Order: sequence, then structure tokens, then C-alpha cells
Amino acid sequence: MLLELKNIFKWVNSGGQRVFLLKDINLKVDEGDFISIMGPSGSGKSTLLNVMGMLDGFNEGEYNFLEQSVHTLKEKKRATLYKEYIGFVFQSYHLLDELTVQENLEMPLLYKKFKGSERKAMVADMLDRFNIVGKKDLFPAQLSGGQQQLVGVARALIANPKLILADEPTGNLNSNQSEEIMQLFQQLNKEGVTIIQVTHSEKNAQYGKRIIQLLDGRMV
Amino acid sequence: MLKNYFKIGLRNLLKDKLFTLLNIIGLSVAFAVAILLSMAAFFDLSFDRFHEHADTIYEVYRQEQSPKGPEASTSQPAPLAGVLKSEVPSIKKVSRHLQQQAVFSFKEKQLSLDVVWVDEDFFNIFTFPVSSKRTNQILADQSSIAITEATAQKLFGESNPLGKTVHVLIEGSEEPFTVGTVISNIPEHSSLKFEAALRFEKHPNYQENKESWDTNYHSIFVQMDDKSLPDQFEKSTRSLVDLNYVEDIANMKRDGVVANSDGRFIQFKLLALEDIHFVNFRKGYAEVSRNTVFLILAIAFLIIGIACVNFINMSVAKSSQRMREIGMRKTLGAQKRHLFFQFWSESLVVFIIAVGIGAFLSALLLDDFKTLFKTAVSFDIIRSPKVILSFIGFILFITLLVGGYPALLLSKLNVIQSLKGKLEKSGKNRVRNALMIIQFAIAIILISSTIVLREQLYFMRNKDLGFNKEQVISFPLDGKKDGYQVLDLLRNELKGNPDILSVSGADNNLGIGRDGSRFRSIFGFEYKNRIVKTNFLAVDYDYLETLDVKLVEGRGFKRGFASDSLSVVINEAMARELGEKDPLTAYVQVNDSTNYPVIGVIKDYNFDSLDNAIAPLTLFLNKDYKLYYGYVKVAPKNLVKSLDAIKSAWASIEPNSIFLGSFLDENINRTLKKEEKMTTIISAGSLIAIALSCIGLFAISLLMVAQRTKEIGVRKVIGASVSSITYLLTKDFLKLVTISFLIAAPVAWWLMSSWLKEYPFKIELKAWFFIIAGLVAFGIAILTVGSRTIKAAMQNPVDSLRAE
Repeated sequence: MLLELKNIFKWVNSGGQRVFLLKDINLKVDEGDFISIMGPSGSGKSTLLNVMGMLDGFNEGEYNFLEQSVHTLKEKKRATLYKEYIGFVFQSYHLLDELTVQENLEMPLLYKKFKGSERKAMVADMLDRFNIVGKKDLFPAQLSGGQQQLVGVARALIANPKLILADEPTGNLNSNQSEEIMQLFQQLNKEGVTIIQVTHSEKNAQYGKRIIQLLDGRMV
Repeated sequence: MLKNYFKIGLRNLLKDKLFTLLNIIGLSVAFAVAILLSMAAFFDLSFDRFHEHADTIYEVYRQEQSPKGPEASTSQPAPLAGVLKSEVPSIKKVSRHLQQQAVFSFKEKQLSLDVVWVDEDFFNIFTFPVSSKRTNQILADQSSIAITEATAQKLFGESNPLGKTVHVLIEGSEEPFTVGTVISNIPEHSSLKFEAALRFEKHPNYQENKESWDTNYHSIFVQMDDKSLPDQFEKSTRSLVDLNYVEDIANMKRDGVVANSDGRFIQFKLLALEDIHFVNFRKGYAEVSRNTVFLILAIAFLIIGIACVNFINMSVAKSSQRMREIGMRKTLGAQKRHLFFQFWSESLVVFIIAVGIGAFLSALLLDDFKTLFKTAVSFDIIRSPKVILSFIGFILFITLLVGGYPALLLSKLNVIQSLKGKLEKSGKNRVRNALMIIQFAIAIILISSTIVLREQLYFMRNKDLGFNKEQVISFPLDGKKDGYQVLDLLRNELKGNPDILSVSGADNNLGIGRDGSRFRSIFGFEYKNRIVKTNFLAVDYDYLETLDVKLVEGRGFKRGFASDSLSVVINEAMARELGEKDPLTAYVQVNDSTNYPVIGVIKDYNFDSLDNAIAPLTLFLNKDYKLYYGYVKVAPKNLVKSLDAIKSAWASIEPNSIFLGSFLDENINRTLKKEEKMTTIISAGSLIAIALSCIGLFAISLLMVAQRTKEIGVRKVIGASVSSITYLLTKDFLKLVTISFLIAAPVAWWLMSSWLKEYPFKIELKAWFFIIAGLVAFGIAILTVGSRTIKAAMQNPVDSLRAE
């Protein structure tokens, strides 16, 4: 088992009232899973993803990731944990505009203390695998949306994470580009990467092995 | 990793070129100015420290009680040095020191040189670098002299000066001296400057004064034991004071002078060598004040401070554009320290570039700086590793502080919020506002100080000094002939010239002439059972007429009155001092026997520097006293032609001496050098402060407008007018300027009134000085912010809303 959420609650206080973002979420994810999270706007999809990615905290409940109880870990430990095992893909790619494709790919490695030669090899490998060798010296602004997201996925994958969290990875893409990215995900999943994606599109959700529906912070 | 940081830092800088440019220009100008100013300050602080024994060298000064309170002087009687040496065991070496011009001749060449008359140990105490010598001991015998390289060049040209014989005019006769030592040119940061050194015993006044305890005419330097404390010096001189000043102390007691807190009437004290450049005896004690130096340093810091405030404000404001990057880096595993280090290293890049450009600029501007601020500073003085290391340390510290604050802010941001690009608004603007208030307050203080200083300088330059300074030329009588004779020859020579109105002379100059010398001679006598002290001035006929000094009572010296050489003319201050109802019945006692009656009273005029109130003055006309300066009054037209006429007349009378004449108003301006320097520094400082504040304000308004684009668009759609939006955007800044004015005005008032306190002749502080400064700051803020905001307000709301 990769991760397990037990009775997760998350809320904010607004105008003296407790507004629940997540209510009693229970979820088990095994290695090799491919899960699609669906639901209307404001149903808590992104929040759930952020909680699983340890970018955000929660107010109640338990969260175990690879046998470690995340809720008891300190900030720094948690950071090392997600740094090691989780890759993120975002709707708006979040590539760094000032860095070239190659440098964007290299960046996560910099924070993990790989040697220069290792980094180079890993980046070259990734460029090769995604067929973007020719674009390695371009800046994100010089790429199409689909290409940017391709780089985004490559960057998420470069440190060999066990889990990829994707927040509407195709939200800004046209249907052809979406198709490509989703096929890429499927391919990766076959190779053993666990993927959890948030999506609005029924079609994309079908790529997952499992679909979770959220409504007002609750699993339906 | 580091490479990556620098790369992204550099690309970020290049991305927003205007911003980077503003930042770097601001910082480099600030650094250049700060480097120059602090160099000038360190130059002043390094004065006299180059001597090997600098920390054990002292000047001896005497503090005497008088009816008007304590008086202090470094002028000492000739026998004192020997007595000190034998009575005070902690003194290792002692030397007398007297500085006076003397005429040197070598073959046909004749030069008036700046000479120090010193004892044998002078050059053992002060280790001036020697460039060549015949014997180890400088001035070993009385017939040898030491000269500087420049003097050697002047006297002998290229030939070897060692062993050459020169003649020096002493008491009207030429005495031969042998050049024993050539001293390297005296460093600029030396208080003791001279062109030649002779033995003290050779000074014309030595023989008559060598046993006299009444004539104070030279200073004394001592080198003390390493272990001895300067405070104990006074105690160890008490017995010699009691022995040698019996009469003076008795007179003081009779006049009702009160002993000081130690129960003493006369005390000898030590003044450390390093303090000599900063000392002032005006208040009756040795007042050592490095305020001017610290003021310069403070301005340097203020300017760096303003630039740093700009930097902080700009980086914080700009950081909103990098929120996404921060969030992304955090999700990719960056920790706080990574981000902190990244942003800090970006600041470091900017700072390194700015310091580099600043250092380059300062080297470029060094010469202009030297002429503008009249300082002899050079890079040599600060080339010591200690100075350079502390400079680097200081820069690193500033970078850490200034680059660190925004870096800390950014690295602390929450991941999800920063990914969404949201910035919590709360505390940040408060810091920015506080910094901008400080910035404007500094600018307002500097502007109002500039106004006050300029007013005071103008006031001193144009004050009615009680004599005619526009039409009178003064020049040193430094030739071989007797002064009275020279003046008579001049009168004859210039008789036919209608532009020459009158010729006279005195033993002292007014202001500082081109020879750069300045002195004061004071004597005291017993008048009706109390001691009266007065300044002494020997004059020639026509002195009052030449200088347009007004006569109040009696008459001036006139030809044909044989007894005038035994009479005196006094000023009003002296008349008050004597306290007679009819001052013409008073007299001045010169020797113990002769009383000189007062024949006239003149109106007070500023014969001494404007730092001092007008003191009692007594004028003598007696050929026994030498004249050192000539005065010529010329017609208001043809000033240059008249000066030339005097010059050529001088050349025919004293062919071997260079004419150093100048108008008295130039001489007065020379005495205001300190004020002028300070005014230039403060004016330049405030100009730069204003410019830097403008840069900062401009950048902030740029960003603020960018951040509020949507708000502006919405307001316009709802129906706000251009002017109301401009007002809305400008108002915040004006509020800040108003607050800074309220803070700065009282501070500036206090600073300026304490500065003016030093001057007996001063302007009144007026409210408008400060109001103008405030208005200037206000105007600048409106101009800088307004231009941006009007542009933003005029934009089509559709564009600004689409951008969101």
C-alpha cells in the first residue's frame, strides 16, 4: 500500500462558521493505481490532491504514506518525503519562465543533491524519452501548451517518483494535446508509476482504473 | 546549484531591464559617493598616525585661570622644554617647535620658505621619512639644516643637495647653513608641514628669550614612556609650575581669579598627537571634536541607507511577480534555506555589480572630488589590508541585511498561496512605508541643512566686517628689505597712479593670504592692579585710512607727531576692557616702566576669524616692531590693472621675492574653507539623496500602478475620473511625505541650531528654511509619482481589465 487517508477533515473558519473543505475522506491507494478524481468546481478535488501531496495540511484524521504517519511528521521531514516520492503536474504547467527546458528539468535534481554528471545523464535521458531533445534550449514561452505540459510531466518524472499528482493536467490543452498527455499517463502507469489525477472531463477520467467522485468535500 | 542560482538571477535581472538599471544606477551612485566620502573621512582620521611613535607623542598645552574663566594655549616659554625634560621622568624626548617664514638664498636664487625651528630630538620624536642624509642624527649641529625634496628641487634643481651651503636671513644678516638631510615630501595627512627645518637656537628671538618665562612663542612636543599615563603628567609638573610661575600666580590671586577644581591656577597638560588635527582651544580647554569627520561618514551612511531602502522596497514589491516560481520551487523540494540563499545570491550579484561600478566611478571622480571638497585624499591611504578587509566586510554585511530581508520574506511564503500568486498584504506595506518615511526624512533633513548652511555662509561672506575688503589688497612683506622701508618705496613708486588710493602695512594679515599663514599675538599687562590682555598689532601710517576702519574717538597715528611711536590706538572692545569713562585717559603698559597713552579709539572690526567674537586690540606704530604684511587700497575701477601695478612695483623693489598679493575678500573666503567644505558636502549629499529617493519612488510607483491595474480599470468602468484616480494613487505617497516632514523638521531644526551655536556671528533660523525643504520633497514626490499615475489613470479600462 502506497498511501492511506483515514477520516480526513479539513475546514476553514469564515465569518464565525466552520466551512468544510474535506469531510471524512477515507481512501487507500496501492502502488500501480491510476485514480481519477472528479467533481464540480469547489467540491474539494484540488484540496484533496494538495493534502495527498503534503503541500497542504488537514485538521483531523490520519494520513499514512509508505507506512509513515504524515500527520505526525515535522514540516522538514514531510518535505523530504514528498521530495523523494511525489511528482507534481499542474494545469498551468508552472514551468519557470527564466529557465530553458533543459534547466527546468534539471531543477528538481538540484534540490536532491545529485552530482553534475548524474544530473546531465538523467536530463538527457528524459529529453530522449519524451522526444524533446530538439527543444532543450528553448524557453517555455517558445513552446505550445501541449509541449509545455510535456515538459511539466517530464519534470515531475525526472527524480523517479512513486506517485504522480496531476491537477487538471489537460485543463489548458486542446483535445489532441489532451489525448497525447493522457496516453502518456497510461503508458507511465503501465511502467509502474502510481498516478492520481483531478479532471473535469469524463473522457480523461476513463483512463483511470478507479474514479472517485467528490461533492462538497465528501466522497460519493 | 550556485551556477543555477546565478543563471536564473541574471536572467531575472535582464528580463526587467528598466528595473535592474534603476536599481544598479541607484546603488552604484550611492557606493561611489560613499566610497569617496568615507575616504575623505578616513583621510582626516589618519592624520599624523604615520609616525612610528605616534601613540606616545603629545603636544604640551597650558591652561591658565583668568577672570573670564580658563584659557588654554599651546604657546610656551623657551626655558620650559629643558625644565620639563629634567623634572618629569616619564618624558623620553622633548622638542620645541616654532613655525615661521625665513628668506633663503643660494647663489642668485632667493626664496621665502616655511621653516620649523626645532630641537635636536624633533626628528627622533617624529619619524618623517628621510630620502637621503649625511649623518644619522638630523640637525646634529646648529649649522646644519634639513630640507624637503621639493625645497631641494626649488633651491638646487637637479644637483645633489647634500652638503650644499645656503644662506638664511636671520636678524638682518645672512648666516650660512649646510644641508645635512633631505626629507621625503611631507605626507598630506600630516599636521606638521614645513619646507625646511632649522635648530631652535638659531631663531632670531632665541637669545633674548632663552631664560624668559614671560614670553610664550613656540609649542612643545614630547614623547612619553610607553607606560606613562597622560593624566599623570599634570601632577608631575606641579612643582615646576610653583617654582617658575610664582609672580603670575600671585597676580592672579590678587586679581581675584578663582583656582580651578584641582585648586590650581596654571596647569600643563598633554594633547595626544592624533587629536591635534581636531583640537580647538577656544573655550579654554582642549576641545577635541571629530564631528565634521563623523558628519561626512554619517552622510555616506545615509546615502547608502537611502539606496538600500530603494533596493529593499523594489525587491519586495517585485517579488509578487515571482510568487509562482517560489511555490513551484517549494513543490519541487526547495527548502527555506535554498530559497533564502537563492534570493540572497541574486541580491549579491546586484551588489557586486554596483560596488564594482561604484568603485570605478569613485576612481574616475577622485580628482574632481579633491578639487571640489579641497581634500588631498588618495587611494594610497586606504590601501592597507585592514581597511580593504573591513570595507569588504561592510559590503557583505549590508548585502546580508538588505538582500536578506526580502529573501527571508519570500522564503517564508506558503506554498499553495504562492502558487496561486496571492500575497498577504498585511505587514509588508507597513515596512515599506516606514522605510520610505525614513528616506524622505533624510532627504528633508539634508535639504534644509543645505539651505541653512548656504544662508550662514552667505551671511559670513557678506557681513560688514568693519573694514573695506573689496578694495584692499594685502601681500606678505617677505623680501630682504625692512618692511617700513619697502612700504615707503612702494608709496613713491605708486604715487603717480590715480587708481592707488593709499598704502600701509601691519605685522598681521586679515583673513588668510596666499602665503597661507595665520597667527595671533597677545600680550598682557598690569592695569590698575589687574591683568588686562589684548591682541597686539603693529601698523604703519595710514592703516585706518587704507582699511576704512572708523575712528570713534581721538585720532589715528599721524606723521609729524613724534610721540606717536609711544602711543597706542585701541578698539572699542579694548576700551571696554580698560573700563575708563574716557578711554583717552587710559594707557597701555608695554615694559614694566613705560606707559603708552591711548590717543584714539576705533570701531570694532573683525581682525580675527569669524569663529571668534571681536577681542580687545591695541595698535602700535613703532619701528622696533617688524611689519610682515603690506596693504594697498585701490580705486573700485580697474582692480586687475591696479593689482598688476602693485605687482610690478613690488618686482622692482624686491626683485628676488615672489609677489603673493590678494584682495581681502579672497582672504576672508579662505578662512571660510571649513564652512565651504561642509556646505559643498551637504549640498552634494542632499542632491544625491534627492536623486536616489526619486529613483526609489519612481520604481515603487511603477510597481504599485502595475499591481492596481485591475482596480484602476474597475474604478474607471464604474465612472471614476482621471483626476480622482490620480489623486487616489498619489495620495498615499503624499501622506508619507507629510509624516516624514513632521519627523524631519524638528530634527533638522535641532541639528542646525546646535551647529550655529558655534558661531558668534550667525543667522536666525527661520521656519521657511524647513518649509521650503518640505515643499521640495513634496514637489518631487508629486512629479515622480504623478507622471506614472496619470498615465495609468488615462488608460482604457478594457485593456487593464483584460490583463487580469
